[in-house]
Amino acid sequence: MPETVIKVENADKKFSKSLKHMMLYGMQDITRNVLGMEAATGRLREGEFKAVDNISFELKRGETLGIIGPNGSGKTTLLKMLNGIFMPDKGKIKIRGRVGALIQIGAGFHPMLTGRENIYVNGAILGMGRKEIDRKFDSIVDFADIGDFLDAPVKHYSSGMYVRLGFAVAVHCQPDILLIDEILAVGDREFNIKCYQKMHQIRKSGVSIVLVSHNEYVIREQTLNCLYLKDGRARFLGPSEEGISLYIKEGLQERSDRDTAGRGLAAGEGLKEKAELLPVKFFDKDFNEISFIESGGELNIMLECIIREKIKNPIFGVNFYADSGFMYCANSDYENVDFKDLPPGKVRVRINIPRFHIPADNYLCSAIVAEGDVNNLLDWHNMVYRFVVGRAKNARGSVKLPTKWEAEV
Amino acid sequence: MDYIVYEPDRYLKLGIRIWPKMFKELVQSRELIWRLFIRNWSARYKQAALGYLWALIMPFVAIGTFMFLNKAGILNIASTGIPYPLFALIGLAVWQLFSTGIISGCNSIVSAGGMISKINFPLEALVFSSVAQSIFEFLIKFGLIIVFFFVFKFVPSWGIIFFPLALIPVLILTLGLSLILSLVNGVLRDTVNIVSLLTTFLMFLTPVLYPISAGKSVFFKLNPLSPLITAPRDLIVYGHIKEPIDFFIVSVLSFLLFFVSWRVFYLAKTKIPERL
Repeated sequence: MPETVIKVENADKKFSKSLKHMMLYGMQDITRNVLGMEAATGRLREGEFKAVDNISFELKRGETLGIIGPNGSGKTTLLKMLNGIFMPDKGKIKIRGRVGALIQIGAGFHPMLTGRENIYVNGAILGMGRKEIDRKFDSIVDFADIGDFLDAPVKHYSSGMYVRLGFAVAVHCQPDILLIDEILAVGDREFNIKCYQKMHQIRKSGVSIVLVSHNEYVIREQTLNCLYLKDGRARFLGPSEEGISLYIKEGLQERSDRDTAGRGLAAGEGLKEKAELLPVKFFDKDFNEISFIESGGELNIMLECIIREKIKNPIFGVNFYADSGFMYCANSDYENVDFKDLPPGKVRVRINIPRFHIPADNYLCSAIVAEGDVNNLLDWHNMVYRFVVGRAKNARGSVKLPTKWEAEV
Repeated sequence: MDYIVYEPDRYLKLGIRIWPKMFKELVQSRELIWRLFIRNWSARYKQAALGYLWALIMPFVAIGTFMFLNKAGILNIASTGIPYPLFALIGLAVWQLFSTGIISGCNSIVSAGGMISKINFPLEALVFSSVAQSIFEFLIKFGLIIVFFFVFKFVPSWGIIFFPLALIPVLILTLGLSLILSLVNGVLRDTVNIVSLLTTFLMFLTPVLYPISAGKSVFFKLNPLSPLITAPRDLIVYGHIKEPIDFFIVSVLSFLLFFVSWRVFYLAKTKIPERL
């Protein structure tokens, strides 16, 4: 039974909102401690807020925990508490073993000193003695891959070299628990691959990892369980896949709510007079209404439209937008689908996509009805519909495509 | 392996057991203190043309000024028993051990900046290593003092053997004040400026550049720093401390201050990263 290396019990962390309160409470707390009294950390004083609110979890040796959540949800604060930088204001945090952190790369680096000298400084700050650094020196330099620049002042390093050197030292600390905070967004692709490989190696040797990331793919790949933080509170603690789905769903909900308020009705003038689109609906192959589909599955989209005046050469379209941009559109004009002129009344248009091979992502959808030309919009629902495309079963990447293999000997 | 437990008022809960812990942590961070010192030292002097010699410039300027003022009759410095430049240099060297020590110590936490809120390492190491800077600057000045011995053909009394020992109280006082001031400076950022002004002012109220007999003012006598400056100098000049009781009292007070400050620092240091 692997032993527990981290145990967090109902931990809280408060911060002050204003500088004035920060200084005042700071002095107050320090004075109270000096006089042998406990600082009043239990309750929230005026101007304070909880960055981390009643968090509990346990991590065993060799396990990896992901921490996800929107910006400002307390992820980095929690990580710093695990690192012993911030003390909890309530509750307990129990740590067993040496903790290493990849939170700030190159701590203690001085631009005037050479790479060699900075390895010793950084190493000392991270808790490595001189003999230990001497032993690992060659390995560090090798990993950092900075070549002849080892004896040049660090201020001449490119940002990539800087990160590589810092990471090389940090990784050689050989901690029992490793805390990582999205710094891997800093290096180039090759370096990132090196980092992930090293992390994989480390994990095999029984190191427990706590990983904070926005990147759901990384969390999915690297962690078994995750903690989803929202406003400092634990929204979910459990299997990563579930946590991520919840995070996506809630994130998308918020985003589309915001967008609807801001953008959705921006192009309001002159619309809905000749024609009005009713809410668009998505269906699977059996015509069950869905808001989620696996990439590659069969998708049916239903557009219902009220026609008030006769429309000549109507055009219908549905667009899918991901964070990365405009992904896909089904548009009767581009696909040379002709509709007869439509008399006043109601029309129902069904779009069938037998194999919806678009990358797994969270999409926002728009729908249009136009006359004669796409620019002549009659109605427009702009990014109103949330639609999630999940990874195809047994797919490694975001998309699974029908592939034929042949071999010749 | 045992758990380390982080909880509110963590150090408070340890009670008296905190002292061995503090000592142990200090000893463990000796390498870090050394590394930080080397880092600041070499960085400071690497690009300076005059390099380490800058440590000597201020004393030269101060001594030169006073000699000029004395010669010009503006200031009347009573006889000091030994050639004035030597007298002044010894006084200045010891004084600056204190003054630059507390100024850089006071600023040490703040100047470490982002590092503190991102990495977990013993904060005392920052304060101790910045005081180490002033120790090294002192050593450079002491080298100059030795040179002056030859230049002025002055043979120091055998009391010079105890000179390093006599410096311990002023060093301890510097450390003690630095620890407290670094905390205050973390919250009230202009503390270091105030300290800077005060030490400049205080130097003239202390028998650094002139002997204690020079001032009829009671300040000289009451200034706790006076014995700390004059005692080491007396050892070199006279072979014994002229006012041993004063020196002893102030030394004890310095040690007390140091231990209190160190303790307070320990209790407060968990709050520093959040408030910075």
